[in-house]
Amino acid sequence: MVEPAGPSFTFEGRRYPIPPGGTVLEALAADGLPSFQRSPRYHRPRAPLCGLGHCTGCLVRVGGRPNVRACRYSPADGDVVSTRNAWPSRRFDLLAAFDLLFPSGIDTLRGFRRPAWARGLYQAVVRRLAGFDGPPSPDAASGPVDPPTVRRADVVVVGAGRAGRAVAERLVAGGRAPLLLDRGRSAPAIPGAELLPDTTVTFLPPPGPADPPFSLLGFTEPARGLWIRAREVVVAVGSYDAALLFGSNDRPGVLTADAAFALDRPGAAPAFRAGVVFGAGPRARAVVERMGDRIEALIAPGAVPPELVRACSDAGIDLHPRSLLLAAHGRRRVRAVDICARARGPVARLPCDAVVLAHRRLPHVPILFQAGARMQWRPEPGAYFPVADSSGRTTVPGLWVAGSVAGPSTDPAADGDRVARHLLAGGPAPGAPPASLPSSPAEAPPAPPFPGEMDGYYRELLRLPRRGRWVACPCEDVLLEELEAVPQRGYRGVEVAKRYSGLGTGLCQGRYCLPDALLVLSILEGRPPADVGYITQRPPVVPTPLSALAALDPIAATDGGP
Amino acid sequence: MTVLARDRYAVAIVGAGIVGLFTAYRLARAGAGPVLVVDRGFLSGGASGRNGGGVRQQWETRATVRLARESVADYRAFGREFGYNIWFRQGGYLFLADTPSELEKLRGVTEIVRAEGLPARLLDADGVDSLVEGLARGAVVGGAYLGSDGTLYPFPAVWGVYEAARSLGVEVALGVEATGVTQRDGRVTGLVTSRGSVAADRVVNAAGGWSGDFARRAGLPVPNVATRHEILATEPMKPFLDPMVVRASDGLYLSQTMRGELVGGLSLPHPPGTGGGMSTSPQFLPRMARTVTALFPALGALNVLRAWSGFYDDTPDGLPVLGEDPRLAGFVHANGFGGHGFMLAPATSRRVAAAVLGTASDLDPALFGPGRFLDPRRAAPVERLQLG
Ligand SMILES: Cc1cc2nc3c(=O)[nH]c(=O)nc-3n(C[C@H](O)[C@H](O)[C@H](O)COP(=O)(O)OP(=O)(O)OC[C@H]3O[C@@H](n4cnc5c(N)ncnc54)[C@H](O)[C@@H]3O)c2cc1C
Ligand code: FES
Repeated sequence: MVEPAGPSFTFEGRRYPIPPGGTVLEALAADGLPSFQRSPRYHRPRAPLCGLGHCTGCLVRVGGRPNVRACRYSPADGDVVSTRNAWPSRRFDLLAAFDLLFPSGIDTLRGFRRPAWARGLYQAVVRRLAGFDGPPSPDAASGPVDPPTVRRADVVVVGAGRAGRAVAERLVAGGRAPLLLDRGRSAPAIPGAELLPDTTVTFLPPPGPADPPFSLLGFTEPARGLWIRAREVVVAVGSYDAALLFGSNDRPGVLTADAAFALDRPGAAPAFRAGVVFGAGPRARAVVERMGDRIEALIAPGAVPPELVRACSDAGIDLHPRSLLLAAHGRRRVRAVDICARARGPVARLPCDAVVLAHRRLPHVPILFQAGARMQWRPEPGAYFPVADSSGRTTVPGLWVAGSVAGPSTDPAADGDRVARHLLAGGPAPGAPPASLPSSPAEAPPAPPFPGEMDGYYRELLRLPRRGRWVACPCEDVLLEELEAVPQRGYRGVEVAKRYSGLGTGLCQGRYCLPDALLVLSILEGRPPADVGYITQRPPVVPTPLSALAALDPIAATDGGP
Repeated sequence: MTVLARDRYAVAIVGAGIVGLFTAYRLARAGAGPVLVVDRGFLSGGASGRNGGGVRQQWETRATVRLARESVADYRAFGREFGYNIWFRQGGYLFLADTPSELEKLRGVTEIVRAEGLPARLLDADGVDSLVEGLARGAVVGGAYLGSDGTLYPFPAVWGVYEAARSLGVEVALGVEATGVTQRDGRVTGLVTSRGSVAADRVVNAAGGWSGDFARRAGLPVPNVATRHEILATEPMKPFLDPMVVRASDGLYLSQTMRGELVGGLSLPHPPGTGGGMSTSPQFLPRMARTVTALFPALGALNVLRAWSGFYDDTPDGLPVLGEDPRLAGFVHANGFGGHGFMLAPATSRRVAAAVLGTASDLDPALFGPGRFLDPRRAAPVERLQLG
């Protein structure tokens, strides 16, 4: 093997060149789809699911620092990257025996109670299984390296995608100086606006009544804390592709369209060569258009629109409209999927090496729940959206939404521009409720009719016999049966379901499990998802290092700051 | 929605937290007649679903040591009795002293605990280091330790007691708020709720942080004060910290759960009352992060996943309020647990059930009875070990 000459990092004793500006995942993905993580309970092999830095599919250790997202981390020359969650080795993990030994699941809630003398042993084993990695090692303690950062801003725009950029550009043109934040590394600058890349924020209650209405807590990778006060905030954080419930839905090779796009880089080996796409909307079409040569079949929960039928036939992709995706096959990687036509069609097996999920685009709403904006369930695509008027005003004075986080959007840039124009025209003074919006839930517009497409889909799917593990919460390895047990035992509501099953308590904080869990609970409890509820979004919402938080000045936070 | 099944109950309990549920369970087992528990929220929505799961027997009052020791035995047997595994791990409780005078205070505690027959130990700095990995050098001068203290998972404890109580016929009505009591001739005659009034011979106030509010609504002023306490959980990691670590000087407590997360909090001077809500204040995350990284310098790279808060139900003397109110017959208190209701509930609920049934118990009314606050001569704090 040729040793790379330029900057490189090592992974399992092998050196990898660092792609310019690239991540660890991109470097490792040069060989195809990397699968280097194991799930916490059953030690099932896991690969990147989301490509957005939320799931647990790409966790690695960098030097002494555990739980680093390979899909977000840009390695430095000489970094030693490793994974720990396997024994004795990543390729041959004896702990995967748990997957075989407990075919109907490990019942940590009611199991392991007897005999009493074995309690200590059970505890020792279960304790060691928890987590993905050991604690940070002392050499990883960066401490608060940079001075604490406290900022005041006139307007903060969260998200530098098309909508957020359009907002910022319009605000600059209107004489304002917005602060634009983005989790990503590479948003281009906008003259007149300050851009903070690699920065994630969350809302906190304002420190005092005299302060500007918004207090945002953030951190800039790798470990710099940030505290922002802002008079107005525009949330333009966009949307993401949802996960899906089916047998062995956690197999390496099952990935969201977001991840498929993130891994699809010029020069890199493709993450898959013969995938199937699930979905029939604009997102599925984008996958077909960009990677059609690596897609064998398209499976849709409902009808397939004519343009997509045409695009598929041009690319030689088989169509399976109105079908259920039942299960994936393959031990280390997807090799085939079972599908059946809806209304009890026969089961067909399609060989493939990936399942690209492109059926449901969901808004990144945790930050809006947290800001206290009133939310409303929309049956299509089956998600909560902020209650907002056409100008982008939410029910929280001074809080605006723009782009696909506000609702399915065909032209996010135009949305952003419109919202910014309204903001410039002068929203109501902070403190005054927006005139055009209901001020109490009773006045809220009536909820759109329920149910939506995925509701009908799951109603049918959940009645069928199952094979393989149905993983309802991949971060915590919570199985669908464990979620279903909650209403079956007489408990109601998603808050209790979370505490009962552990679903939604992992690293992604519910992004990939809650949307489907709400549908499942709604079906089993026999009431609309909006009544099943939502789990309280608790700061910091995105995993934030203690050192970044420690770098913040608590005094500044309490009495108004510098 | 929920409608109450009957219009008359022997006992109506306000609050379906661990205290109310344990009390209901014990009453049903004793054959107390129809028992109703009302809660305006969801199951585990109060402090019983928001706490650190710590269970300790190191106290300054011998009576509390005994109650805690009994609770430890109950929690050890929980799986057998209730069918849920609460993963009660007896990894010990380690009180840290950062000054010699703190260590002297701990010496007094250790002596009381030992006098009750529990092998608590006073440790020097090396002794502390041998129990905990990665402590900053010079951070402590010593500590006090009892290995049979530990931590448990609060949620399965709530489910277990809830299901057991229901299977004994207890009615648990969720989404129902208690707004007051009805009374005649100095006796409770019923409970007034958002779903109408029901007759009840006894009403138990197990409303946790809101018990002061409910007592006042029943016309009984009490000195209970709700104080907001914040807590956080980190991402999970492989076992690293065995004991629950607590420190008196700032109220810090920190333990590693069976799921691998570090869970802990510290005391901040929040204004009293429930007005501050159960979210996170701007000060908490930075303060907690500074405290944890100062004590465990290697943990800076560890990610915090979420923070939340809940209410302690504090009393002037730091002891819970248990028993019948001398001002209103049939009104029974099971509150004032501060930050320790979870660990005391199994044992105290036996005494509260006895008070409801009018049977004898070993509870000293001078220490725990609601009447103690009516005596103006008694104000000195009794139980000062108010953390973790
Ligand atoms: C952050 C934190 C950490 C803690 N750590 C520990 C620990 O490590 N160990 C320990 O032992 N204890 C700990 N505690 C304390 C412990 O959680 C409580 O003492 C215990 O849970 C109290 O149980 P409860 O049933 O009395 O109250 P809760 O669980 O609060 O239940 C009271 C219930 O009453 C309901 N209610 C209130 N008013 C009304 C009304 N008017 N009508 C109807 N329903 C009403 C509420 O909805 C609530 O569900 C901690 C507490 C907090 C907040
Ligand atoms: S692929 Fe990196 S977090 Fe999901």
